[in-house]
Amino acid sequence: MLAPATLRAELVEPPLLAGAVERGELPPMRERLPDDPYRTDFEAMGREVGRYGGTLRTLETQARDTRRMVVFGYARLVGYDPDGVILPDIASNVDVEEGRSFTFHLRRGHRWSDGEPFTAEDFRYYWEDVVNDPNLGRNGLPRQLMVDGKGPVVTFVDDWTVRYEWDAPNPAFLPALAASLPLEIFRPAHYLRNFHARYAEPEELAQRVAAEGQRNWEALHFKHDQSYKNTEPDLPSLQPWVLATRPPADRFLFRRNPFFHRVDSDGQQLPYIDTVSMSIASAGLIPAMISSGQSDLQTTALTLGNYAFVKQGEDRQDYDVLRWPSGKGSRMVLFPDLNASDPDWSELLRQSDFRRALSLGINREDIAQAIYYGLARPAGDTVLPGSSLFSPDLATRWTRFDPDEANRLLDSLGLTGRDVSGTRLMANGRPLDLVVEFAGEDGEQTDVLQLVAEDWRRIGVRMLFKAVERDTLAARLAAGSPIVSVGTGLENGTPRPEDSPAALAPTDSSQASWPAWGLHFESAGRLGAEPDLPFAQEQLRLNEAWRRTLDMGEKERLWRRMLEIDADELPRIGLVADVDQIVVASRRLRNIPRTGRWNFEPGAFFGSHHPDTFFFAPPTATAQAQP
Amino acid sequence: MLRYLAFRVGTMISTLLVTSVLIFTIIQLPPGDYLTNYIGELRAEGDSQAEEKVAFLREQYGLDQPLPIQYLRWISGFVRGDFGYSFEYAAPVSEVMGDRVFLTLVLNFATVLFVYLVSFPLGLYVARRKGSLADRSLTLTGYLGLATPNFLLALILLYLANALFGISIGGLMDPAYADEGWSAAKIGSMLAHLVVPVVVIGTSGTAAMIQRLRANLLDELRRPYVVAATARGLPGGFVLRKYALRSALNPFVSDIGDILPQIVSGSVIISVIMSLPTTGPMLLSSLRSQDMYLAGSFLMFLAILTVAGMLVSDIILALVDPRVRLSARRGA
Repeated sequence: MLAPATLRAELVEPPLLAGAVERGELPPMRERLPDDPYRTDFEAMGREVGRYGGTLRTLETQARDTRRMVVFGYARLVGYDPDGVILPDIASNVDVEEGRSFTFHLRRGHRWSDGEPFTAEDFRYYWEDVVNDPNLGRNGLPRQLMVDGKGPVVTFVDDWTVRYEWDAPNPAFLPALAASLPLEIFRPAHYLRNFHARYAEPEELAQRVAAEGQRNWEALHFKHDQSYKNTEPDLPSLQPWVLATRPPADRFLFRRNPFFHRVDSDGQQLPYIDTVSMSIASAGLIPAMISSGQSDLQTTALTLGNYAFVKQGEDRQDYDVLRWPSGKGSRMVLFPDLNASDPDWSELLRQSDFRRALSLGINREDIAQAIYYGLARPAGDTVLPGSSLFSPDLATRWTRFDPDEANRLLDSLGLTGRDVSGTRLMANGRPLDLVVEFAGEDGEQTDVLQLVAEDWRRIGVRMLFKAVERDTLAARLAAGSPIVSVGTGLENGTPRPEDSPAALAPTDSSQASWPAWGLHFESAGRLGAEPDLPFAQEQLRLNEAWRRTLDMGEKERLWRRMLEIDADELPRIGLVADVDQIVVASRRLRNIPRTGRWNFEPGAFFGSHHPDTFFFAPPTATAQAQP
Repeated sequence: MLRYLAFRVGTMISTLLVTSVLIFTIIQLPPGDYLTNYIGELRAEGDSQAEEKVAFLREQYGLDQPLPIQYLRWISGFVRGDFGYSFEYAAPVSEVMGDRVFLTLVLNFATVLFVYLVSFPLGLYVARRKGSLADRSLTLTGYLGLATPNFLLALILLYLANALFGISIGGLMDPAYADEGWSAAKIGSMLAHLVVPVVVIGTSGTAAMIQRLRANLLDELRRPYVVAATARGLPGGFVLRKYALRSALNPFVSDIGDILPQIVSGSVIISVIMSLPTTGPMLLSSLRSQDMYLAGSFLMFLAILTVAGMLVSDIILALVDPRVRLSARRGA
């Protein structure tokens, strides 16, 4: 069906840009591309060479979701491929020595979306004028640039080579650069200089500060230096599509970056699709809008519950409803807060047997059938079968439904007294009224919790649940107020031994099982509380050992040990795993994988599948392609 | 009349002042501020650097100052047309509000118009035919309109409008016009998209209005002066227009004051459900993120809209019914 590559040697300009090239406003494609563009391996990815043009329509729920395009576009210095391997992308190559010295080779002739050269100067600007500037960098280096409290030695070898060196290995560095919310160690220097006191004309700068309602030049610089927020059409970018609409708006357009650095297997510049249009709509309306054909590619606001509804419109609107397995360790997790400020509850929650009893008291099979139409796997929150670290024993440890054993465990903890309603009593006579707090008002969590409450009544635990705003919940967690909260499982459900196991140890204050311990680690001991449970200390120690070693066998051994402790101690009570994400994709849209892991980190949702290679087949071809 | 006006405007301004204090207080009631929410959001996306990023922003945004000072800065700017700074959009509030205020006015005005245009003739019609089939069926429809949850009605009507007339779901115009300037086609598209929200927001008001006019008219029609006029052989329509209706009109007009807040707040909810580019959805999201100057300004705008509407209703009332003017003069 496709013409052989040799016949396509004549490169076509994207029609959207052809006019500008003819008028001489834009250089021709060859000059817009770097000398050695990123050649997408179409054969390996199973993609077909596409055609230019078209607008991809999608719907998001909030104007701030313009940032989704930074995730969707996923141009990174280095990026994950769909298998979770980190490969060079914007950088043409990275030399890593002993895990502590990283040399980035940039592509000669690579340009920002406004046509200015992208060089080592952009790295120098970030290093010297942003993060080490006494005014802008007041808060110190990003954590991922610190090893044992020290930053890297940065060398700007030449215009296209930059080196970052530490004394000890920094395994967090490349993953941070490849993250969906990336650590960006470069900045569009030519643009940001306009807002920097060291470079800008003082008078002009003062005018700008006043005109934009900012307090001082630092705030002005910060306002313009937010590539991830993606709210500024003027900010030069390296992404395949660049914001073209100035917020506020209800529909955002993203136009192709004429200087994007990737090409297809014929050497044609990507992306294929000219424009991405993102309309803002309320979540409740989105399924109806899809079924009336108002989206070409949609995942936001779609859950398994909408499956039947959107499926009905498939043929009428000519789209496919795909299911992508989730990459999260668990769809829904109960987090017992081991740092809860309530002394009675904290004492109970800190006992492994209490957490195990809660877990054994839940009928997961029931939940999978009743809420997820049997399309979910009852399991704890651990790695998924897709990971080499998976073992069935880990996924099912303490997850069978066994109320008798649960009752026995609770009895052995001395919780033998009961009140008239059959609820167990603590030693001091307080009933076990367990308040579960969850963010968001979507029906799914409420439905699941209702089933859990039923189950727990049989083991003498009365659950009360309370919906709060996500932000309020975060604040309450930081204060140790909730007893048990609800969230989703491990962010990376299919890790490889070289991926960080930090999520299993108290390393982050956003971990709802132990926010205070996480904060302690995060702040290097300045804030929070030191972990005082042996298993948490052990996890921290193992995580640290993992960071130190470069031996893959050792890394894997440490991972397995941590997963073992994690599954046995149950700091997170997972309910069901493998709940698919619904993807609605126009049948005209090509090169989009029929299935793949749906995950923010790593993989950036569609990002690691290179949406710049997606294209629209002509309408007539669609009819032929459909059997 | 002038004194009456001055008195009304005076009350209006003091009402707005009290409202502004209330608004500012209520927005500040939930724990935290915009930046604590911002931290939470960055965290949720895996940014481990959130706290540091935000540390100096608090100072930049002036969030380290005491609340009364923040309030005074906001309200004193308000008079000069400076509505403060939106943290979320990193832009002055006036820029962020833009078209939305206009579209909100269009939506609310269209709804008020709809309510009156529909309820006035219908109220007249059913009052004259009390107990007839038309009366009963209209009353039934009205009660249905009152009883149906607005969001349900909105979803059903949106679906029907799409299935029958191909009107795109959500928004106040076809997506194709979103970035274009105003043209006849764009206005046409907007009018087509206005139908469903106006009907949804207006139904309950219309139903109530019809019943009120009907009840008032029925009361008047039984009065001796009407009976006397009819007995003298004046035609029924003339008696209704020149006698009964004039007296029955008073509550109908003064109801603007009641119906306007109802429409304004109803339109916020419906705008969120139907994704209309009015102030509604932005108000909700700014309240959630505690973007206080933006939320405060939107709420103030809605308050001003309501108060101004009431003023209009009072003025019309004073024009229609001299007793109102006189009593105000006597009271003053």
